[in-house]
Amino acid sequence: MFSQALQDRTRREVLQLSAAGVFTASLSGWMPLLAKAPAKGNRTKSCILLWMDGGPTHKDTWDLKPNSKGAGEFKPIKTSAPGIEISEHLPKIAGLMNHGVIVRGMSTPEGAHGRAKYYAHTGYREGQGGITYPSMGSFVARENGRVDASVPNYVAIGGRSYGSGVLGPKYQPLMVQDAGKGVEDLKAIVSQGQFDRRMSLLQEMEQAFGKEYNAETILDHKTTYERAVKLMQSPEAKAFDLSQEKSETRSKYGSGKFGEGVLMARRLVEVGVPFVEVQLGGWDTHQDNFARVKSHSQQVDAAMSSLITDLKERGLLDTTLILWMGEFGRTPNINTRGPKPGRDHYPKAWSVAMFGGGIKGGQLVGATDKEGAEVIDRKTSVQDLLGTVCEVLGIDYAKKYETSTGRPITIVEKANPFTKTIM
Amino acid sequence: MRTLRSALALLLLTALFAISADTAFTADTKKELKQAAKKAAILEKKKAAEAKKPDPIKRPDIKADDLAKVKPLTPAFLGTKGDTATVAKFVDSQVSAKLATAKLTASPLCDDSEFLRRVYLDLAGVIPTASQARTFLDSKEPAKRAKLIDDLLASPNYAKHQADLWSNLLIRKNSDNRKVDFTSFTKWLEKEFAANRPWNEMVNEMITASGEQEKAPAVGFFLSNNGVDKMADEVGKVFLGQSIQCAQCHNHPFTDYQQTEYWALANFFVKTTAGGLNTNKGQTPGVQEVNNLKRNKKNELPESYKDVPAKFLRAEAPKMTSTEPYRPVLAKWLTSSTNPFLAKAMVNRVWSQLFGVGIVNPVDDMRADNEPSHPELLEKLAADFAANKFDLKHLHRSICNSDAYQRSSKKVSGNADAEELLFARATMKVLTPEQLFDSIALATGFSTNEGKGGKAAGGKGPGQNARTQFVTFFLSGTEMSNTTEYEPGIPQALRLMNSKPISSGRAVQSLSKADSAKAIEELYLGTLSRRPTNTELSKMQSFLKNGTTAEAYGDILWVLVNCSEFTMIR
Repeated sequence: MFSQALQDRTRREVLQLSAAGVFTASLSGWMPLLAKAPAKGNRTKSCILLWMDGGPTHKDTWDLKPNSKGAGEFKPIKTSAPGIEISEHLPKIAGLMNHGVIVRGMSTPEGAHGRAKYYAHTGYREGQGGITYPSMGSFVARENGRVDASVPNYVAIGGRSYGSGVLGPKYQPLMVQDAGKGVEDLKAIVSQGQFDRRMSLLQEMEQAFGKEYNAETILDHKTTYERAVKLMQSPEAKAFDLSQEKSETRSKYGSGKFGEGVLMARRLVEVGVPFVEVQLGGWDTHQDNFARVKSHSQQVDAAMSSLITDLKERGLLDTTLILWMGEFGRTPNINTRGPKPGRDHYPKAWSVAMFGGGIKGGQLVGATDKEGAEVIDRKTSVQDLLGTVCEVLGIDYAKKYETSTGRPITIVEKANPFTKTIM
Repeated sequence: MRTLRSALALLLLTALFAISADTAFTADTKKELKQAAKKAAILEKKKAAEAKKPDPIKRPDIKADDLAKVKPLTPAFLGTKGDTATVAKFVDSQVSAKLATAKLTASPLCDDSEFLRRVYLDLAGVIPTASQARTFLDSKEPAKRAKLIDDLLASPNYAKHQADLWSNLLIRKNSDNRKVDFTSFTKWLEKEFAANRPWNEMVNEMITASGEQEKAPAVGFFLSNNGVDKMADEVGKVFLGQSIQCAQCHNHPFTDYQQTEYWALANFFVKTTAGGLNTNKGQTPGVQEVNNLKRNKKNELPESYKDVPAKFLRAEAPKMTSTEPYRPVLAKWLTSSTNPFLAKAMVNRVWSQLFGVGIVNPVDDMRADNEPSHPELLEKLAADFAANKFDLKHLHRSICNSDAYQRSSKKVSGNADAEELLFARATMKVLTPEQLFDSIALATGFSTNEGKGGKAAGGKGPGQNARTQFVTFFLSGTEMSNTTEYEPGIPQALRLMNSKPISSGRAVQSLSKADSAKAIEELYLGTLSRRPTNTELSKMQSFLKNGTTAEAYGDILWVLVNCSEFTMIR
């Protein structure tokens, strides 16, 4: 609907133009248009963020220290990448380690969940600048998404989202609470003709109201409805329907909500969605760390390995970056406060993992000391990580956006990416 | 110390060079020395970086006793007791004065239909029925707006709406209290708001309540925020308008709240405990304050602040014995009419609920360097509120009767481009999920039950579960909706467009369709609280020629419920 040039204007300007009736003619084009098929040739890269909510332990997943004080109950196993060992409860992933990179030197200042999650998603501290910064899903959606895409360019499955902040409702994620149920109310319950009549009448009312009051909220409401209608009419919406997958595939990914979410993420990337976030919660293991991490690891192992293999089969692995991360790691020492041993918050040293996206797999970036407590090589900040993610996805992280407040923001500030090591 | 370290590092490095030339050392020793040197070098670098970092906030060397104290409030009536008219005039003179200084023109007063819908939603939390709308719009009474305000404040829906607003602020569901049912707390709030219980008395009860939930429902506040730190956070934010929560772990980054002050406030709750939270096992949740309460995760002060005496925020430390309850001591200071924070925080919050924007923003961050847009207005309104014994209905009544509140939201050339509105015109607000649900239920149910509106009061209508599910769905993960931004996304739009109750056209079955003009008017009045314009009427009448009559009316209702005008307060 909007030309690319108008895309970058501030919302205020858009509203002024709207009031002047500039968009009147094109507004009548609310009638559904079939989404244009993705251009053949160079496909922009997608990102699947596997968000491990609660601060996943690094010493019991990607960075085991069997000779340390708080070594824990798990044993490290060899992987398909020489020199790299990971948790015994991630065996399938171990077999695919040659496609992946583990970043063991993450080190950040935020140890409180809310603040740390915001920081990890946006690269900015909560409260900084007095604005809400956009989550990585939103800026990837903006940079790598097609303007006329019928499926939103950012989908968040299972869990809350760190949304678009100042970038506005256009880049808000489509939230899917339960992948098994798909997107509810996707189909009209009246006939196509009746639905079209309703939409046409609605659009006339909106135009008149918008002209009279000229408020930003009205434009946001229209944008949301337009996106919803577009989604209803699109063939790509079938990506949300997991019943179209064979039952063997569904069990391969795992029967839980996370497995279903990861399968849906694969389907969404297949129809060109540039950013999908799938959440697996419950990593805040102050108590009963080992039983819980084992069960979570099993879910991750099944889903993530299936995802990597399926994407490879479909020739999509090189253009899809899979990022496994949480908001911080957990203490190298084990707490025995409660009946079942646990680990507490630990942002000083933690791990994330990256697969696909064209990276040179089988590598480690950064290292921690014998205890897994201090980063002794290549300390990596959130900005370094997000900067690297941008570069892998072909995004200029130093790019600035104008916002509706008039104040420009940079996608990622102060980044020292490690892309050269892994591409 | 630094020079010593550098010397050490240098020594090690020198030794390393010397060693590598000497084959007498084993490879293992070489490796160890190399690692040690590396570690020393890293530590050295770290220290250098720390020394270079500037302290971002120039904090004076403040001792706990000397912390800058805040001036107590002096309660003072603006006119006489309960004098709505004088307060409303005062609001207007203050707002107009600032507009004049800023050279902004005020938009005209809103028309009757704008006022009608706005005040119903702001005070009763739901739109009027078609009949209620017609009555108001056709009334020729000169003081009908003031009368409507009085009627709404006296209605049961006022209390329900306030209970909705305050439940969202006071109840925090988390893993700790997930099995607790907070219905008794919400019902208590509703009862108190209906009786217009003085706000400071309500706060007093929420802070000091003890006993089982069913007998002492105000304990719900502590059950929501079970822990000395959580209580300090929420008491600070919600009652005092002070966001001190950052000062829990370090001195506040943006203001001068210190960790000692934070833990001194938290200290008032060290003897309070919640129990019986596992209702699955048939337990009854409750709260007690006991002496010699065992130290646990919830009442533990950090090691370095263990001996900090309990102290009022920016005021004195009261003398308390170890055997007396602490909470009443805090409550006495907090709910006194001279408390420097309580009245201002409430006035600011009520103002922001009615105008969409507070006099201080954000409303819970009323720190010294976050200036109010209208300092004298805030000060005197707070003084009047306190003098009127924290009478909430008086506050609502006064503000709603002002011209400032009744201004249109339409832009005029004298304020269209204003960066800071200063209340030159009303801000368009978005309905909260609760308001939206209740209004849709009313609009699609064609309730003839005028008094109760769409709220599930015991009459027929969607059950409480449907309402809770809808509200949760519309919040989609956020704690509270934002009334000045349109936040719902695609799933919410899909629900409004395609869900059966709105989409099926069942709602228009009882509509009398003999006279199309009358029927269309009924639909408009029952949704947008106004009559259609002539243009709209003829457009709708020609639309009726599509499909069957029943279908077409259903479509019109669908459009009226899905449009921006319905989901917003213009």
